[in-house]
Amino acid sequence: MTPAFRPAADVGVTVSRDGATVYVARLPAGPILVLDGAGAVIWAEATEGPADGWIDRVADAFDVPASGIAADALAFVHSLCGDGLLDEADAVRAT
Amino acid sequence: MAAREVAEVPAAGATVPLEVRIGFAHASVQWIADRCGADLLHVKGAALDPTLVPDRGFSDADVLVRPAHVARVLAELRQHGWELINSFAYGSSFEHSATLRHHDFGLLDLHRLYPGAGPTPEAAFATLWSERRTTTLGGRSCAVPARGAQAALLLLHAARGGADPKAARDVDYLWHRATDDERQQVLDWVDRLDARLGFSVILGELDEHRDDPAYDLWRVAARGGTRMEEWRARVRAARGLRAKAHVAGRSVLVNVEHLTIVRGRPVSRREVIAEFFDRPLRGAREQLARLRSARQGRNR
Repeated sequence: MTPAFRPAADVGVTVSRDGATVYVARLPAGPILVLDGAGAVIWAEATEGPADGWIDRVADAFDVPASGIAADALAFVHSLCGDGLLDEADAVRAT
Repeated sequence: MAAREVAEVPAAGATVPLEVRIGFAHASVQWIADRCGADLLHVKGAALDPTLVPDRGFSDADVLVRPAHVARVLAELRQHGWELINSFAYGSSFEHSATLRHHDFGLLDLHRLYPGAGPTPEAAFATLWSERRTTTLGGRSCAVPARGAQAALLLLHAARGGADPKAARDVDYLWHRATDDERQQVLDWVDRLDARLGFSVILGELDEHRDDPAYDLWRVAARGGTRMEEWRARVRAARGLRAKAHVAGRSVLVNVEHLTIVRGRPVSRREVIAEFFDRPLRGAREQLARLRSARQGRNR
């Protein structure tokens, strides 16, 4: 099982006990980024679950059609990649 | 999308819980150690095996650095947003740790030695390092001492805690409630770390070590004492005439770093001079108060 994305090498990640919040820190000097709500779910599904169908799983979590959120979800993870917080895994299959 | 950067300093009401910040403090110093090829062990606090003392709180990150690598790690930390707020000489009577502060990650105690563990700081680190484990802190793989060693180190820490309820709770879990096997593991590590003097506090046998040069340091740490007694203990524990003279000379200097923290701003020359005079007087006042208290006790 390969996730679609992985945290960048110079990043630390902590997930709250209830899983609702993801804290992402640039290392070694910060800052800390707080992801909650949809941001936390997208991070979790993009980096922890299998690459296959990760956007579907995000959609399921909010009970909305994947087609309605795919563009936003992809834009979000790509912005995280652009900020150096996420790296795209080798074989990314979004849906 | 729900994402925001947190820029405020650690404070009440901050959106990032303290334990998360501290986890990232561990991750930050580990990142730096990896980058500069330094060995360090994450101790106490977030790094503690959670089965040793349940629900034990913490307020900073602690790391023990291989002594030969301390200068390198300190220099790198200061290059990456960590500000030195208390240096070794003024950290404690054991002069074992420096305190650094980071805007996002909070406080870090960097230990160049672990009080009570020996026979030398280098040997103690090597012994602990030889049986290290790893745990994940702030998303980073971090080296920690073996479980039994963690218990021994925490008990040595508690031995310096005096009447601190947290120290008493640590002793309760790690020693009084421990199984015979767990106690034996602790004792094995105490032997390996040449830590019998410090550990004698836990066993109630400290006074059997009166002849040890470091006895007074542990006595003052465990039972309390005046500032004067603390400095006298430091001088007695220092090895060699040169070291003793160095400690004695420093005892009258002002800890400008500490003053800066207390005042929350850089201190002026006038304040440093005022503190220079006030500090010995404060020590004398404490001595007098103790003498009066003892006299009143005798007259009752």
